[in-house]
Amino acid sequence: MNWLRLRRLWRPAPLKRHYDTVIIGGGVHGLATAYYLNRDFGITDVAILESQYIGFGGSGRNTAIVRANQRTAENVRLYEEGLRLWAVLTDELDFNLMFFNCGNLSLGHSEASVGAFRMLAGTHNFLGVKSELLDPQQCAEVIPGLDISDRPRFPIQAGLYHPPGGIVRHDAVVWGLAKGASARGAHIHQGCEVRGIETDGGRVTGVRTSLGDIGCNRLGIMAGGYSTAIAAMVGIELPIHPLTIQAMVTHPLKPFLHHVFSSNGYHVYANQTLKGEIATGAHMDPQVNYTTDATAYYLKHQAEALVELMPALRGVRFMRIWAGLADMTPDMAPIMEGELGWDGLYLDAGWGYFGFKSGPVAGKYMAEYMASGERPEMLKAFQLKRFLENRYSGETAAVMKYGHWD
Amino acid sequence: MTFRLTCPVCGKRDVYEFTFGGQERGPRPTQEGLGAEEHFRWVQFRLIPGEPREEWWYHGQGCGVWFRTTRDPVANREVEGGDGDG
Repeated sequence: MNWLRLRRLWRPAPLKRHYDTVIIGGGVHGLATAYYLNRDFGITDVAILESQYIGFGGSGRNTAIVRANQRTAENVRLYEEGLRLWAVLTDELDFNLMFFNCGNLSLGHSEASVGAFRMLAGTHNFLGVKSELLDPQQCAEVIPGLDISDRPRFPIQAGLYHPPGGIVRHDAVVWGLAKGASARGAHIHQGCEVRGIETDGGRVTGVRTSLGDIGCNRLGIMAGGYSTAIAAMVGIELPIHPLTIQAMVTHPLKPFLHHVFSSNGYHVYANQTLKGEIATGAHMDPQVNYTTDATAYYLKHQAEALVELMPALRGVRFMRIWAGLADMTPDMAPIMEGELGWDGLYLDAGWGYFGFKSGPVAGKYMAEYMASGERPEMLKAFQLKRFLENRYSGETAAVMKYGHWD
Repeated sequence: MTFRLTCPVCGKRDVYEFTFGGQERGPRPTQEGLGAEEHFRWVQFRLIPGEPREEWWYHGQGCGVWFRTTRDPVANREVEGGDGDG
């Protein structure tokens, strides 16, 4: 019965005292970077340091939605390539990532959001990405449970349907990438908390961790919401605010919701998992914090918003609620940077709530950046210095409710 | 889990009664000789090491007072002894 024994997908590895490349953060971004460092550039001497267990952070806490319906051309291109990677990686990693290409329907409840949808559809179609503006009747044809009457406080005015998107099993992505990175020689160290960064004459030389000091030539900070705290270890100020974002699931229901839907007006997104649960979330507490606390306040808000949009969900119970960190930038676009004032130091952070869907493609380009030292063309739009030159990404134009945080 | 903040007028109240007003960062840099880069840095760039910090809060669903208090972003709690004496 040996075939019944479950084995870990990645190999345990000895902790060496020096690696060529050290990546802080065992999430989708860090694991993907390690994977592509070897696949594309033959770099095997890589360690991934994760303070908890791989996928503990945002990689295992998001609502698994993937899409490419961003606002600006730079972002659409990046996320579009990211969408195409799910199928490729399922094949390459020999691990089913369960990409369910069900499409996303965004709902608009105001004239402003209808205008924004028109703009988005135009941008997407210009760049060859499928998106279509729907009227309320068409929205109800796509998702029959939606209330398109004028009963809700903010009735549905229009929808933006984006067929290339869908959902991906987020744990599978973490496990699959860990399998791929490990098979290509990367060492994954769980329970290894970084407590300091060693430098020498303007160069990064290693990290101090709960498992001892580890030297390195290159260091990548890819720790999601915790990246600001790690960058602070070498005095790097960032325009990133880590906020707690909450998500929850209902008890399982028969399959009835065959697309992801989201609403900026009600600040909710929802999809039905393959198990039948409605996975939903969206809200953030506005104050900077590093906790993953969930609150009854948002549970109530989420229930109200869901029932308003889809009355049949009244009485359905939530089973679990959890939270993760969203690392928000002022312009809703990430920071992928190798010019941080320390040679050999790289940062891949500020993904806000777009970190999961971008994981593999970000890893691919960060691997190119770290291996060559040259910023790939694709990442030109995501430099840190854009905030000092007043050249913010226009990504915020896609988001109706965009708060102040500090 | 939610937590409570100490309003200087109303005492300890649920945090959802308040609006977050940002980290206290001292006075705005003087306009004279202020470069664009320095200005943007002051507006957006932060060091968030995870230590308690002084913040502004507004008791919007209460008495309407702006005040300062110290909160620990790692625990997401007001630091005990914070007297909220903005």
